[in-house]
Amino acid sequence: MDIFESSKMAVKTLTANKLRSTLTMLGIIIGNASVIAMIGIGQGAQRLASEQFESLGPNVLFITPGKRETRSRTFDLPKTLVMQDAEAIATQVPSVAGVAAQRQTQLPVTYRNRNVSALIVGTTPTFLSVRSFDVASGRFLSDQDVERNTRVVVLGPDLVDRLFGTTNPIGQQVRIKDVSFQVIGVMQPKGAFLGNNQDEAVYVPITTLANRLTGRTSPYGLDLTFISVSARDEASISEAEFQIANLLRLRHKITDEDDFSVQTQKDVLQIVGTITGGLTAMLAAIAGISLLVGGIGIMNIMLVSVTERTQEIGLRKAIGASQQDILVQFMIEAVILSAAGGLLGTGIGVGGILLVGALTPLQAGISPVAIALAVGVSGGIGLFFGVFPARQAAKLDPIVALRSA
Amino acid sequence: MPNAVIIRLEEITKLYGSGDTEIHALDAVDLLVEQGEYCAIMGASGSGKSTMMNIIGCLDRPSSGRYYLDGVDVAGLGDTQLAHIRNRKLGFVFQQFHLLPQLSALENVMLPMVYASVSAAERHDRAVEALQRVGLGNRMNNKPTQLSGGQQQRVAIARAIVNRPVLLLADEPTGALDSHTTQEILGIFGELNTSGITVVMVTHEPEVARTTRRVIWFRDGKVIHPHMAPAQIGQVA
Ligand SMILES: Nc1ncnc2c1ncn2[C@@H]1O[C@H](COP(=O)(O)OP(=O)(O)O)[C@@H](O)[C@H]1O
Ligand SMILES: [Mg+2]
Repeated sequence: MDIFESSKMAVKTLTANKLRSTLTMLGIIIGNASVIAMIGIGQGAQRLASEQFESLGPNVLFITPGKRETRSRTFDLPKTLVMQDAEAIATQVPSVAGVAAQRQTQLPVTYRNRNVSALIVGTTPTFLSVRSFDVASGRFLSDQDVERNTRVVVLGPDLVDRLFGTTNPIGQQVRIKDVSFQVIGVMQPKGAFLGNNQDEAVYVPITTLANRLTGRTSPYGLDLTFISVSARDEASISEAEFQIANLLRLRHKITDEDDFSVQTQKDVLQIVGTITGGLTAMLAAIAGISLLVGGIGIMNIMLVSVTERTQEIGLRKAIGASQQDILVQFMIEAVILSAAGGLLGTGIGVGGILLVGALTPLQAGISPVAIALAVGVSGGIGLFFGVFPARQAAKLDPIVALRSA
Repeated sequence: MPNAVIIRLEEITKLYGSGDTEIHALDAVDLLVEQGEYCAIMGASGSGKSTMMNIIGCLDRPSSGRYYLDGVDVAGLGDTQLAHIRNRKLGFVFQQFHLLPQLSALENVMLPMVYASVSAAERHDRAVEALQRVGLGNRMNNKPTQLSGGQQQRVAIARAIVNRPVLLLADEPTGALDSHTTQEILGIFGELNTSGITVVMVTHEPEVARTTRRVIWFRDGKVIHPHMAPAQIGQVA
């Protein structure tokens, strides 16, 4: 008997008992749906993070105070990085195209009776070119604003929506911590970065922030949260990294451990990749276990099925089925069950991915390789867990089988 | 010219259990059945009739003795070869019909040809022909549950003959049927035998046995009358 006939027979048997077949497939369906969804969402998260880092601007390096190990996202690390460091990098490192010093803090911003807590970014005009930002209307901060500590502010577009609604904000006065600022511009939308909405930020001259809002906290000068640097081109990134590190070591009189760290976009991407990659692997492992459990479920039901169908097996043997025919028949049933479960689960997983994609910015990948793998692995699981019940069936003595009426 | 020997049993013994509980289900049975015969096997319940049918049908192996089926020594054959013999040379009819409930009458009849790797078109034609031969040409697409007992047994007979066997084995084929249906089924067996198929049938009903041409009488695992005329049935103690 050929495989085609066996498959037709198996489909017939399985569709004759739809409820049981569906229940048998359930484990595999869930396992596959989770494998596809988990891997897809994990990859989506990875891609999202990568895209966001790439959107930071090309060839960007970040200099943060503190050692790499102690670096965290709090803004109150020991202030070892000062404005003069940024100026020194801009003037003394040849492979650098632009330097933007940034000092950040969270403060309430008020317009009339509306009050919003926002990220206040103190920076310089170079911020736009280094970080690939742009203004949508009005203007950005100027060198004069920085020199003269002017009380001007550029707002993120989402913050404008929340504070002003439909009113044109340019020329209006907002208050930041009881200090009055004039709105001079609105930023282009930039989207979220690692979950932080960059379009709700407020940009003020770095000098104004230090002198009128936060006060100076370092004895070495105007202290910074971090410095963003753009290298001249991709080839000069590592050169810039090396030169900046040397310059800062010299300026900070470092003899042993650095009190700052320089990170390239590649470094950051690598860290993100490791984290999301680990996450994806863990999710895949959990999903893999559920696939295994699904396979055991199939074996269990197939064993019950062999017991129930003893008479059928005996009859088939009496009319000419060999042990191999019976073995193949039950194996094919198991493989069809698990492969069909795999396909159904894949459908559900892809549906889940599309749903997540529609509701969140996470554009999870639907990788054909993952689908082929999941369906293949499911079929393999059917094969593996089908062997034992199928051998039980094939070994049945036809006399005993027929007598069990 | 003598007819070919289809069944040759020599000192066939079948033991069940061991030690004190040992049972001689068959005790050194010798038997010859020739091509074209129509035999009934009779005897008390537990006398070994079914055990012998299973051995003749290659569903079971004897504990000792030799069995030649159509000239072939069956003892030396493996599972696949035995399956092949059951498929091509033998046809079985059981008391409980043993049809597969999820298949239609036609599909049930086609099943032996699936194992014989007959092409789909030929399977269909031959199954239809077999069903027409047993008078069931008009109910081919019914499931077994939609058929009466007599009709189900007709399907089972069609299934047994569809691969054109040399030997048809029936273990109490009318045991589950009323007397009218029994007559119809026996008519079919008679016709099949006339057309050349050797028929061996187990029964405990004398009326059934009387429609055959030879009765083989069993007692305690032994053949005590290998060649009884059906008319003599009442005379056996
Ligand atoms: N699988 C078995 N195990 C043990 N004893 C059996 C088995 N099959 C049949 N027997 C015994 O063998 C004897 C013959 O049984 P059987 O051939 O079925 O008789 P019949 O068909 O003539 O009624 C009986 O005593 C029965 O109990
Ligand atoms: Mg019996």
